[in-house]
Amino acid sequence: MKENMPINNNIITSPSKTEPPRKKTKRDRFLTGILIFGGLFFIFSLIQLNLDYSRLISGTSKLFSFVGHMMPPDFSTWEKVIGAGLESLQIAIVGTSIGVVLALFLSFLAAENLSPHRTISWMIKGIAAFVRAIPALIWVLIFIVAVGMGPFPGILALAFNSLGMLVKVFAQSIEEIDDGVLEAMRSTGASWMQVIFQGVIPTVLTAYMSWSIFRLEIDFRYATILGMVGAGGIGWELTSAMRMYRLEEASFIILVIFLMVFTVEVTGNQLKKMIQRI
Amino acid sequence: MEILEIQNLTKIYKDGTTALRDISFNVKKGEFAIIIGSSGAGKSTILRSINRLVQPTSGSILFQNKEITTSSKGELRKIRREMGMIFQGFHLIKRVSVLKNVLHGRLGYMNSFKGAIGAFSKEDEEAAWSLLERVGLTDQAYKRAGELSGGQQQRVAIARALAQKPALILADEPIASLDPTTSETIMNYLYQICHEDGITCIVNLHQVEVAKRYATRILGVQQGTIIFDGSATELSDSEIQHIYQKKLVV
Amino acid sequence: MKPSINHIQKRKKIQTILIIGLFALFLSWSLIDTGFNVPKLLNGIGETFRFIFIDMFPPNLSSLKGFMGPALDTVYMSFVAMVISAISAFFLSFIAAYNLTPHPTLQYAVRGLASFLQSIPALVWVLVLVAAYGLGLIAGTIALTLSGTGLLTRSFAEILEEIDMGPVEAVQSTGASWIQVIGQAVVPQVLPGMVGWSLYKFDLNIREAAVIGMVGGGGIGFAMQRSLSLFQYKDAFMAILLIFTLIIGIEYLTNKVRMRLL
Repeated sequence: MKENMPINNNIITSPSKTEPPRKKTKRDRFLTGILIFGGLFFIFSLIQLNLDYSRLISGTSKLFSFVGHMMPPDFSTWEKVIGAGLESLQIAIVGTSIGVVLALFLSFLAAENLSPHRTISWMIKGIAAFVRAIPALIWVLIFIVAVGMGPFPGILALAFNSLGMLVKVFAQSIEEIDDGVLEAMRSTGASWMQVIFQGVIPTVLTAYMSWSIFRLEIDFRYATILGMVGAGGIGWELTSAMRMYRLEEASFIILVIFLMVFTVEVTGNQLKKMIQRI
Repeated sequence: MEILEIQNLTKIYKDGTTALRDISFNVKKGEFAIIIGSSGAGKSTILRSINRLVQPTSGSILFQNKEITTSSKGELRKIRREMGMIFQGFHLIKRVSVLKNVLHGRLGYMNSFKGAIGAFSKEDEEAAWSLLERVGLTDQAYKRAGELSGGQQQRVAIARALAQKPALILADEPIASLDPTTSETIMNYLYQICHEDGITCIVNLHQVEVAKRYATRILGVQQGTIIFDGSATELSDSEIQHIYQKKLVV
Repeated sequence: MKPSINHIQKRKKIQTILIIGLFALFLSWSLIDTGFNVPKLLNGIGETFRFIFIDMFPPNLSSLKGFMGPALDTVYMSFVAMVISAISAFFLSFIAAYNLTPHPTLQYAVRGLASFLQSIPALVWVLVLVAAYGLGLIAGTIALTLSGTGLLTRSFAEILEEIDMGPVEAVQSTGASWIQVIGQAVVPQVLPGMVGWSLYKFDLNIREAAVIGMVGGGGIGFAMQRSLSLFQYKDAFMAILLIFTLIIGIEYLTNKVRMRLL
């Protein structure tokens, strides 16, 4: 959902004030160009979409009455709903853990400064990029056909999707280690395994933990919706409540999803802060 | 007795730059040899070739009568563990305790798995403590290496090298990123320890004055060849000028 | 001679062990409850490979033509939603940024709304919207717009909070009005950043739009889901490849533009 956020946060900073003005106007022109092109493409897209605007109006009034029917939330099925919510949490934890463990091993082979061979590094990175680019929900659909419904396909999908992302960021953390540090260890006669366990892992540990928690947050968000296509957890409850038109129950489930996602985000931020201090 | 015999050593890097041209020299046991020369002269490449962090293009390096340049992976581990190496940037594992960093010097002597999980023997640990005492850092032992000052980190690096019980220490610009006072401390430690333990030492330096104070032998390197080899007293001002003079590229 | 480990380090150690223990507990609870085990994992991966390489492979190239329309719809839907959410977020972010907000209460209200919009997954929005607008692109577009407005309001506000207040005060000191200050001193500073984030959101939208179709939001996801449920696995594989290409292509494009912008 927001996989690249920590990296992208850094890229987005205000333009530096020391740059020569000539370059700035060039960039301004580029920006203007982008805005104009964006506006034109927006109009073009709207025409291409060919939306039925009368339905937009009638739908909106329907939406209000629909939301009205959803109120007040029906808490009576809370046991079932909370149970399903916990199942989502479990799916996320198991899926992320598998992804983390596998990515841990693969990252040593994928990092260019550690990999036994460059071809191995490229291969692993390439596969990871492919796995990462296919959305988790599509993985779920594939896994559902392959292994049947329930929490299991959800776990597999999250494990795969996490693996794709974590191999990339883990390998990056390793590649950021100063070459000299690894060299110094090799110069004492340490073996490949010793260099990894005694030198690399202690150095990247906190970065790995932060990334894993960040990924757990993402996976948890996914886990709440995976169920909508049949993979267990709270999403499944939501779909079935909507299908059976039990709208008050549906609004309660949405509320629970919101609270769970929100709590996990807050806890995750807290945990990441704690890790920075360790 | 010769501990190191280097013959016709040449290194050409992948990008085509020739770092070493046909270098030959021997080092006797117990020498404190200092290599001087301007940056880019090839000092680093010499030391790194001896540890085979750099694979020489041609030539031979005999360390205690064993050929380094063609040794197998297993043999290389055995050779490397008898050479302590010290770097300009200290290169400690910053997030790990000082004591652990010293113990890393033992990795080459342990089986791969035991070393990986960090199951160091009691004797190794005792030895590490006494080494920390020698470099005056016992009270910092449990601190993270990254929390120490530069001079302290370099002392840890010396202790790590000593933990290898080396026959030879290679120090690549050990004081280049330290202030003058700290530099002197480090050089004193290095010299004294090598002297006491009878360890042969080769140091890369660019400060000629420091080199003159400590060296039992000075090697001057320019553009990948050795153009001076003698004692500190033999190193005249004109020789120094000659070493640091940039040859015009034809 | 050896100093004992001081108690700060001891506490750190205990803390670390506690966290690891707690996590191990959570994990085993999850493993048991979901009935997960390694043989099942290996078996599942085996089944999946069999499915991908025997049932899905090779992709049916002739189905590509039919998927092109829905794929383009996905792009249009993502772009339209991004533009609308960027415009609404632009206005909302001035209220949500603490250094520019007209009133603190308004700031909290807008922040809360943005968090709410963002925290509810777009897929849930689709589910609700489909009930009102019917299956199709309208529901998908509105869902992406809602979650996008949440994300962009929050990130735009962050950009606004990091601006250099010097020029703002300088323009203010000339006696300019609030609107004039915003237009002359603030917008030029933040526009590249905002466009950058919007492009990033467009990139995210493509990923989400690809799956939104699965619950009725139209576009390529819908077409792929249909192929799967009709057991046309080789067609579905083609659709997945198309989605993959789309995602990679748009990611590359938006990254290129953002690099030049910032």
